Amino acid sequence: MVDNLEQRIREILADILGIDVAQIGDSTAFDRTPGWDSANHINLVVALEDEFSIALDVAEIDAMLTFPDIVSTVEAKL
Amino acid sequence: MTNLSRPDAADSESELRARATAALEGADTLSAVQVARELLLAAPTIRSARALRVALAAQRARHPGLKPIRVALVSSFSSEFLHDHLVAWGLGSGLDVDIYQAGFGLFRQEILDAASGLYRYQPDVVVVAVEGEDWFPPAYRDFLRNMDRDSKAEVEGWQNEVVTLLRTLRNRTTATVLIHNLASPAYGALGAADAKHSDGQYAAVRRLNDVLVSVASEVTDVHLVDYAGLVNRHGALNWYDARMRHYARAPIAGPMQSFLAAEYVKFLRALRGLAKKCLVVDLDNTLWGGVVGEDGPLGVQLGATYPGSAFAEFQQYLLGLRARGVILAIASKNNPGDVDEIFAANKAMVLAPQHFAAIEVHWRSKSESVASIATRLGIGLEHVVFVDDNPAECEEVRRNLPAVTVVCLPPQPERFIDVLAREGLFDTVTLSVEDRRRGDLYRQRSQAENMRASAGSVEDYYRELRMQLSFAPVHQASLARAAQLTQKTNQFNVTTRRSTESDISRRARDPGWIVTTIAVRDRFGDHGIVGVLMAKHTGDVVEIDTLLLSCRVIGRTIETAMLAHVCDCARARGATAVTGTVIPTARNDPARDLFARHGFAKMAEDVDGTTHWRLDPVQRGVPWPEWFERAVESAASELGD
Repeated sequence: MVDNLEQRIREILADILGIDVAQIGDSTAFDRTPGWDSANHINLVVALEDEFSIALDVAEIDAMLTFPDIVSTVEAKL
Repeated sequence: MTNLSRPDAADSESELRARATAALEGADTLSAVQVARELLLAAPTIRSARALRVALAAQRARHPGLKPIRVALVSSFSSEFLHDHLVAWGLGSGLDVDIYQAGFGLFRQEILDAASGLYRYQPDVVVVAVEGEDWFPPAYRDFLRNMDRDSKAEVEGWQNEVVTLLRTLRNRTTATVLIHNLASPAYGALGAADAKHSDGQYAAVRRLNDVLVSVASEVTDVHLVDYAGLVNRHGALNWYDARMRHYARAPIAGPMQSFLAAEYVKFLRALRGLAKKCLVVDLDNTLWGGVVGEDGPLGVQLGATYPGSAFAEFQQYLLGLRARGVILAIASKNNPGDVDEIFAANKAMVLAPQHFAAIEVHWRSKSESVASIATRLGIGLEHVVFVDDNPAECEEVRRNLPAVTVVCLPPQPERFIDVLAREGLFDTVTLSVEDRRRGDLYRQRSQAENMRASAGSVEDYYRELRMQLSFAPVHQASLARAAQLTQKTNQFNVTTRRSTESDISRRARDPGWIVTTIAVRDRFGDHGIVGVLMAKHTGDVVEIDTLLLSCRVIGRTIETAMLAHVCDCARARGATAVTGTVIPTARNDPARDLFARHGFAKMAEDVDGTTHWRLDPVQRGVPWPEWFERAVESAASELGD
């Protein structure tokens, strides 16, 4: 279940950031990974909310700045 | 609350994405357009849109068939979140959309500064996307503070600002301008009582929208995006995302961005000649529930109670489309006798045989029927929409006629109208008198065609038609129709150059240009404006830039009269040559021999097949056919700006 969740988030990140799924790991992070800028941060939120039918608060949006952050934030919402 | 179990939807999405990418890589433009549209209808998400945009960017060179269009977005909010959706919906409509994004919130500066990036970009379309709150705060967040003041002067001040911005745009570009009208907030400022008060907030927003309507008709080639209608359809509570408005200056909720982009694309499609013209419908389980051949003409579901009521309502909707100018046709696998009988005997039928311009009822394939209808009506397959409830029939048509837009109906008849209405496939930028009468015009055409069959000679036929031609300089009332004809006419069109209202109005005000519309009336009725002629006079030469004729009136020698008229104009101006160009396209076969047939000499032929022609209007000229009664209005055009 968790693996499935991680994989789906990986795919979303890859789509939005325009990079390969295999490149996404613990070091994938806002401002460090090419493509992960503030506009795409919003696009990521929109895609995650749509994919998992969740709603993220601004505090959560501001705090999820790495791939592992996103996984734990989404996990806590489900 | 988890929706980790959406495997079906997710699978079909990823399959559609894979198919779209494959079609783009394989240079199969028609399939790419088809699959992109299917994907966006099934999943109008940022992921779908971005995937399509990325795949198109990588394969753009393989798709010269997509029509390029340059769109500038000037906005009071973060409109870059629209980009992926706009490019994706463009692809799904046969367009290659390129975007210029004006600096965030700088819409006034970009428009007023003649040296701004907006003008350097040379857009085909400028979208002015401004939220009411940013345009005119006294009607929004400051409403209660302002409501006791007389707002008349403030509204006038705002109107002047809008007019100045639009006129500035008009004077500096030939782009078509799309401007949002204004949405009301989710909650009226006076609460439950707001609607009742003529000085309430909803009334204030309505007055601003009335101002926009009058401004848009005052400045040429400005059109309103019905943003208020769009917000209303989706509901203000769904449309707006206060969180993102504060956090990212992006007031429109993420899931709604696709719908706003799709709304713009309705206009882009129309401007590039891609608005659909003809709707071909299936019968069984589409116009009525059940199968007429089995249930009998009175046994099908149609009438006052569900599901028959939903089918009757759908028929009513189709009749409404016809009143707007959509040509209706039938493609059905049935015994013709059964179909005749249901039309004759079932009183609940809203549609009648005379509402359809072509009827194909037999047991051959639907794709054959659709192709035959398109040929008979002289309409390109890219302008045809096919509607059927049967997925197998839909797939058959998609596969064999990839240029046709297929709408596959859901199992619930109450959803039919929405499925057809949401895409706005038939939407045009303006609706002319000719559009509203098109259904009758096609019927007149078939009456005229019957007469041709009985006339002794073709000349007798022309005489018996009793045609009256009116040549008039383009004026304010005919400008939109003239632009629409250049955008929609594909067959009898020598150069297929598309012009916007502002292109045409600029020429009409230039004494070096001859810009004329041609209207026709015959014994069967008034066809309205059916032709456009634009020619440029330089020195001794009058050069025909545009000469086109609606397909409804092809084959009546009106083109000969148009050339005779050009020769008259050329002689009056002292020119010694009339020149013309034929740019061959996939569709303009009927126009290719125009100049050769009328005694023009061929001067050159380019590698792409474009030919150049010349005639001496004094020594040779083109004589007027004797069967026309003609009126030539010579008063100068009275176009403002």
